[in-house]
Amino acid sequence: MKRNCLIKDYILKGWIAGFIVFLMLFFFGTGLARAHKVNVFAWVEGDTVFIESKSSGGKQVKGGMITVSDLWGNQLLNGKTNNRGEFSFKIPKKTTLKIVLVSGMGHRGEWIIPVEEIEAVSVIETRESAQQETAENEPKSIMRSIPASKPCSDEIQLAVEKVLDKKLKPIMKLLAESREQGPTFHDILSGIGYIFGLVGLATYIHYRRKKD
Amino acid sequence: MHISEGVLSGPVLISGMVLATTGAAIGLKKLDYDHIAKTGILSAAFFVASLIHIPIGPSNIHLLLNGIVGLLLGWTAFPAILVALTLQAIIFQFGGITTLGMNTIIMALPALICYYLFRPLIHKKPSISVPAAFACGFFSVLISALIVGVALIFTEENFLTISAMLIIAYLPVMIIEGIVTVFCLAFLKKVQPTMLPGSSTM
Repeated sequence: MKRNCLIKDYILKGWIAGFIVFLMLFFFGTGLARAHKVNVFAWVEGDTVFIESKSSGGKQVKGGMITVSDLWGNQLLNGKTNNRGEFSFKIPKKTTLKIVLVSGMGHRGEWIIPVEEIEAVSVIETRESAQQETAENEPKSIMRSIPASKPCSDEIQLAVEKVLDKKLKPIMKLLAESREQGPTFHDILSGIGYIFGLVGLATYIHYRRKKD
Repeated sequence: MHISEGVLSGPVLISGMVLATTGAAIGLKKLDYDHIAKTGILSAAFFVASLIHIPIGPSNIHLLLNGIVGLLLGWTAFPAILVALTLQAIIFQFGGITTLGMNTIIMALPALICYYLFRPLIHKKPSISVPAAFACGFFSVLISALIVGVALIFTEENFLTISAMLIIAYLPVMIIEGIVTVFCLAFLKKVQPTMLPGSSTM
């Protein structure tokens, strides 16, 4: 009878261990996709802010509520992400923008656009509009002559910044995606370790007390 | 079904923390130190279960396992689930620290309810105990979805819409949990019936 109990014990432990191993293989086979968090990232291009959203499983958040406010909590505008989890808006105010995305199931993510990113854009805009004005005011005689084809440094800067915006967009996307790393194997092991550590500690304290 | 930081209002969070602490205190008092390893294993299983994702259509949903945890632990499910959720929040940033209380209620309260509902039935003959085990797994997820709806009701969300949405989204999980609970219970009945609640040695 005792021997049967011992064998049963081992079988049970074997099954539990096997089950845990199966679970771990499951993770590696399928990857650790999760539906727990919602991520939002945003960048500035020209005078528009583009927003993209992802749930932590890699799926876009469709129809998520977007709220844009400044750092003092004043709401500047609202919106909803489209079917691709995207949203965009023209910059409403030259201040640090806080973008909050809330999805239907109680998940929330936020992204802050610092005021420096927005100021860089508005500098380009004022320079562009100033250039347009001076071009209009030039007397026609100067326009008739062959224009000095040497571009001024401002124009070069504008062109460079526009190209940079375009080129950096996919890189920023990549960066934002790489920020999000799911639970790693050693995270899981450490969590399980903590739990069993607590079990051991509780048992020790309890039986110590009993002894005394 | 972890609710993130910043979604729920202050009073909801505080009441969640109070309820969860009370539940955990009662659970710790009822903790059976002779079988504490069982509590640890189930807590670890719950901790890891959220990482098992099931790709359903356009999204992924995860197992909860609060049905089987509740059935086997009863009140002790509260501290077991609280510990697992704390570790998830700290290590994986699932849910949040302020929402820990509310998330514990969402997971542990259905566990407790299913414990009281189905515990008397699992020792009966298989034609009763198998459906009871399935119902235990099924309803624990269902009640969790309802509690999330109640929690979100105070953030201007429509309770019926949210709950309906969650229940529909988690329907596959409910079915799978029911099946998992049936298999677990059948296995335990055969190999280690002392682990089941209400058995003669406990």
